[in-house]
Amino acid sequence: MAAAAPADAKAEAAKVDLLEDDDEFEEFEIDQEWDDKEDGDEAIQQWEDDWDDDDVNDDFSLQLRKELEECNTQKI
Amino acid sequence: MAAYLSMGEAHRRIADYLSRVADSVSSSDGAALASLLAVSSAQATTPLSDALSAFPDFPRLAADRYPHLSDLLPPLLRAIHSHSLRRFADAYSSFEKAANAFLQEFRNWETPWAMEAMHTVALEIRLLAEKADRELATSGKNPDKLQAAGSFLMKVFGALAVKGPKRIGALYVTCQLFKIYFRLGTVHLCRSVIRSIETARNFDFEDFPVKDKVTYMYYTGRLEVFNENFLVADQKLTYALVHCNPQYGSNLRIILKFLIPVKLSIGVLPRITLLERYNLLEYADVVTSLKRGDLRLLRQALERHEDQFLKSGVYLVLEKLELQVYQRLVKKIHIIQRQKEPAKAHQIKLEVVVKALKWLEIDMDVDEVECIMACLIYKNLIKGYFAHKSKVLVLSKQDPFPKLNGKPV
Repeated sequence: MAAAAPADAKAEAAKVDLLEDDDEFEEFEIDQEWDDKEDGDEAIQQWEDDWDDDDVNDDFSLQLRKELEECNTQKI
Repeated sequence: MAAYLSMGEAHRRIADYLSRVADSVSSSDGAALASLLAVSSAQATTPLSDALSAFPDFPRLAADRYPHLSDLLPPLLRAIHSHSLRRFADAYSSFEKAANAFLQEFRNWETPWAMEAMHTVALEIRLLAEKADRELATSGKNPDKLQAAGSFLMKVFGALAVKGPKRIGALYVTCQLFKIYFRLGTVHLCRSVIRSIETARNFDFEDFPVKDKVTYMYYTGRLEVFNENFLVADQKLTYALVHCNPQYGSNLRIILKFLIPVKLSIGVLPRITLLERYNLLEYADVVTSLKRGDLRLLRQALERHEDQFLKSGVYLVLEKLELQVYQRLVKKIHIIQRQKEPAKAHQIKLEVVVKALKWLEIDMDVDEVECIMACLIYKNLIKGYFAHKSKVLVLSKQDPFPKLNGKPV
């Protein structure tokens, strides 16, 4: 009996949880319009598509190099 | 408060409200009518709600005074009354009756003067249904009002998505339907409304109000993410981002929440400043893992934010970034080899990849690594072939690591 109560509560919570969409879009005011001048420059400049460079001097690459060298010397 | 209200005063307040509704209808004042119909946003106690408590015979008063609005006004007053008493399921049922009566009138009006009021009804019925369902669920009853609100809004959609001047209001109702379907987890129901919006020959999508276009693109963009159509998702979510009112920071943030995984999957990275500004730092390690070729970091990031990513439905998208991270790792191995021994740089021993993965705490044998490399070649993330016997990956001399350049893997 004692165990039944928390299980019920849990099922209840799950049921209520079904009615959630955490990513629901906030309502714009019904009579609202705004100046739509495609001012997305700022948003567009926030992306990099040319990041895939040949630079291997970051910490991660330096450690990788060390690892690979160690495994070479081990073989000899 | 209500106890001190005289019957005469209560009667006067109710009559005043009724006459304002009737006047806004007879003078075709859409904005005034809209504000009178906003039931769920009203305070718990208002002069009107006090009056309704003090004068229980209000439905008859309404029906007697305005017989031509007798389907609309009595249930509307009942909805306002129940809502002020926080009896939301009752409020919903009455409001749905009033909403049906209103829709009937709206259909008969030739011009779209009452569009703002129709939209208010569409919003209110959804918000009331949500409150009603929460109440029903906590008292152990079946929460079915939101679904009912969806059925009502489909009728509204049918009345608007026709040839003529009312069509401009159809996208707003579509967005209310999306919110319901996403909440109920019945997103497949979006399909028929989308088809109706997107195949219209005599109505240009661009002519809809910008606020509705932005909301529509956000939701259809999310659907494309679920369907793994990343190029279309990118278009739609970027449209939403670019056109969104910059004052709605929370909306910009949730657009980015979906746009970022989409961009990552086509090889485009967000700058860290963007993640910081919109508090989306759960993506920071994912981005770093792609830049480094750090598989361990990617797996850690997915594990750490698993609940969050699963909940918004982007987990699978992020998991698929693994191939890009492998590509980056092999590329780094290649560059390091080239610096040391340029002549042999194009031959990568699978054993070396195994070692690198071991360093990253990923336990794989040569056969498994071969399998992954084969996958990278198949997906055109690596150009080259295997020397199977000697367990060596031979890279193409030309462009061995093709960039995605905005194409999905």
